[in-house]
Amino acid sequence: MAAYLVRRLLQLIPTFFGATFLAFLVIQLAPGDFVTRLELDPSYEREQIAQLRAQFGLDQPFTVQYAKWLSGLMKGYLGVSLSYQTDVWTVLKPRILNSMVLVVLSVILIYAVSIPVGIYSALRQYSLGDRVLTFLAFFGLAVPNFFFALLMLYFALWLQDVSGSQILPIGGMRSQMIGGVDFFEAPKWRQWLDILWHAIPPVIVAATAGMAGLVRVMRGQMLETLSQDYVRTARAKGLSERVVIYKHTLRNAIIPLVAQIGFLLPDLIGGAGLVEVVMAWPGLTPMLLEALFSIDQYVIMGLIAISSILLMLGNLLSDLLLAWVDPRIRYS
Amino acid sequence: MKKTVLLLAALALGGAALAQPKVFQGPDPDATPKMGGDFRVNSISDPKTFNPFVAKETSSTNVIDLFLPSLTGYNPYTIEPDGMLAESFEVKNNGLTIVFRLRKDAKWSDGTPITADDVIFSAQVHADEEVNSNSRSSFFIDGSPVIWTKIDDYTVQADFPKPFAPALLQGWSIVPKHIFEPAYKEGRVTELWDVGTDPSEIVSGGPFMLEQFVPGERIVLKRNPNYWGVDPEGRAVPYLDRYIFTVVPDLNASLAKFLAGETDIYTASDADQVAQIIERIDSGRLDAEIFPNADVNFGTNFIFFNWNNEDPWKAQLFRNKKFRQAMAHLMDKESMIELALGGLGQPQWSPISIPAKQFFTDDVPKFEFNPERAAELLAEIGFRTKNEDGWLVDASGRVLEFTLFTNQGNNVREKIAQIFAEDARAIGVKVNFTPIDFNELVRKILNTRDFDAILVGLTDGIEPAFSRNVWELDGALHMWNYGPEFESFEILIDKLMKQGATTLDQEKRREIYVQFQKVVAENLPLIYTVAGAYNPARLKRLGGVFGEEDLNSFVGQFPYIETVFIDQ
Repeated sequence: MAAYLVRRLLQLIPTFFGATFLAFLVIQLAPGDFVTRLELDPSYEREQIAQLRAQFGLDQPFTVQYAKWLSGLMKGYLGVSLSYQTDVWTVLKPRILNSMVLVVLSVILIYAVSIPVGIYSALRQYSLGDRVLTFLAFFGLAVPNFFFALLMLYFALWLQDVSGSQILPIGGMRSQMIGGVDFFEAPKWRQWLDILWHAIPPVIVAATAGMAGLVRVMRGQMLETLSQDYVRTARAKGLSERVVIYKHTLRNAIIPLVAQIGFLLPDLIGGAGLVEVVMAWPGLTPMLLEALFSIDQYVIMGLIAISSILLMLGNLLSDLLLAWVDPRIRYS
Repeated sequence: MKKTVLLLAALALGGAALAQPKVFQGPDPDATPKMGGDFRVNSISDPKTFNPFVAKETSSTNVIDLFLPSLTGYNPYTIEPDGMLAESFEVKNNGLTIVFRLRKDAKWSDGTPITADDVIFSAQVHADEEVNSNSRSSFFIDGSPVIWTKIDDYTVQADFPKPFAPALLQGWSIVPKHIFEPAYKEGRVTELWDVGTDPSEIVSGGPFMLEQFVPGERIVLKRNPNYWGVDPEGRAVPYLDRYIFTVVPDLNASLAKFLAGETDIYTASDADQVAQIIERIDSGRLDAEIFPNADVNFGTNFIFFNWNNEDPWKAQLFRNKKFRQAMAHLMDKESMIELALGGLGQPQWSPISIPAKQFFTDDVPKFEFNPERAAELLAEIGFRTKNEDGWLVDASGRVLEFTLFTNQGNNVREKIAQIFAEDARAIGVKVNFTPIDFNELVRKILNTRDFDAILVGLTDGIEPAFSRNVWELDGALHMWNYGPEFESFEILIDKLMKQGATTLDQEKRREIYVQFQKVVAENLPLIYTVAGAYNPARLKRLGGVFGEEDLNSFVGQFPYIETVFIDQ
């Protein structure tokens, strides 16, 4: 096991270099750079443009740029954001924390809803309830997140109109004032409540798509496990249905879901996607989109580096978890 | 209006000997302002920095301009230069010298006086090549530097290498020398005041000072108690307690915020947004007002052809004035306004933006939508017959065909291009319309030059001299023709632009730019299309704002933020 772990960890190193090099190459292949946007501004002189390129090191060959970035990374330095003119990590850190709020809450919601719903659907296969849930699941998968988020915003506005008070927030992550004092001076628990309240609409939106997928996985797993010999044996032995389902079937059916937890790691950093943009949640996606748009290459690279590390670690974690919960897997 | 000017003049004379705070006059002299309250706006993205030497785009400068002063600005009523931190200025020596007298009572928010040293130091840093500030070009005229000298603590003199008409209008930010100088000496001036800086360390010399910045969420500015402005009654301004930007990246979400009454002012971007706001006001759910089509935007949209085309046949065609006039006759501007702009907007015929009233003229040659005339003009230059596919061909049988690029994702431009391409096809001109990535477009224009025609726009300002880069022969954005052969009208434009920038007499300047517009409209190096509408909206609780007739897309909804107040 230890040898396996070491081998896996060593494999991560070339993978990481390969991934980041490829990412850097792709960014370089895209037309233009950070300064290109300014070139169509009549108030910029040619020399100023050239000066900016030199200042940001964009005039150097791309291998030199990559090598510089990499040597900074070895010291834990992600480079300078071209638009912010400050350390990439300073720019990313608050965004990562904000995104985590959404991601953690929606993951909890996804698991809390999908597992029982998946079990129900499997046990009452093709019943009316199963069909309705299946329909809803496909609906959740089919509706694009940004559109659903937009609907949510207008729903919040509508709620405000009919009730005369603000029941759901219209975007954002924090109120400016809570109970007459500035947000940051309010007691911590009120701050957290306020953030939770703001998180309700985006979490619902972010969770629906994930939920739909997981319900189908859970349902399929349960159905497959229910048809296994040992379940039949258990039933034949006269065990109660309760014991058969929750002790024998569920424990086996849930294994792949447990293993999937490792993949959540990169998600935590990847952010909740377009819902953040629409709902003005100050997470990573709006920042990444802005960085991509302006070709702020070190912000993009910083995000790619962090998420590829997490993706690889998550992968490893998943494999280890699987080995731990599934007695059939052995690494020797 | 007249009354206001007299009042200001009287005040200026009355206290000339004493230290003079700047008097800010609201649009309605009889209004009774209320003190306090928050002014709330949406911003599409975070400020990237609070350092004026680093700032490159409006989400940063919109914030910086609220807390850093400049010497002069535009008078919002007359659109003429007006003293801001400079109490007065004197143009001497045929425009080669300007003497600025600073307000003696002006202080930074930390109590230090704002003096000539701050001004000279800021000018020095802005002009520094190593720093490469966005305002750097304001400190050089044709490569020669402007010389800034301190006369005394409150007098600064600027010597220009040649007269420069917009010299008084360059609103570059002045920074506190006592904060920036140590860092400048160490070569770290660009590292100061980044977005991670504690707001309490940022010193203000403007109406507001930074109170809080929550990345991705909001920027809160509070009233600067040390500000050097007053209203005509002598009360300290600004009236507002706070100025709050909420960061909302999505346009729909920012509309929703206005509809919910969470934003005080809003500019509807298209007819659909206008309709949503009107619907909500009419149903009594929003106490606001909206003024659709109150003015048009400065942004322009135009088509130009590549005179340096590697295909000599095409290059020669594009250089033909009759060809360009024929293309102009194919622009159905009415349909473009209807279909691309949702019925709001105006046709544009010449390079100066319609809201730049002191230079704009409507009296220019107009090649209105007329496909028959277009066909005639094309026949005159040799395209008399059509081939079996219905395309116009010249005597050698070559099809009249070109590719038209525009930047992908800009819906307005894509629709304008489609309308043009269809009308052109109807008379046998084969236009291959292809939207491409914006950066790729820029690369084609500036580097590779492998294109036939491009539809693009420039963000224009009120001062034509600032677009010299487009019109002068060696300008980086003289994008239809990088030479070496120039047409005589281009040489004339080049001359007019140089004159316009160095003439100080306002009437003469207008004459020059009127002629410039006529030459461009006649020769069409850029074929202008339509300008989008400016549709301002605001909550009724806002006071100190312009009435409908004074709204304009240059100044906006109010003359000064200093005299805006919250009425409820």
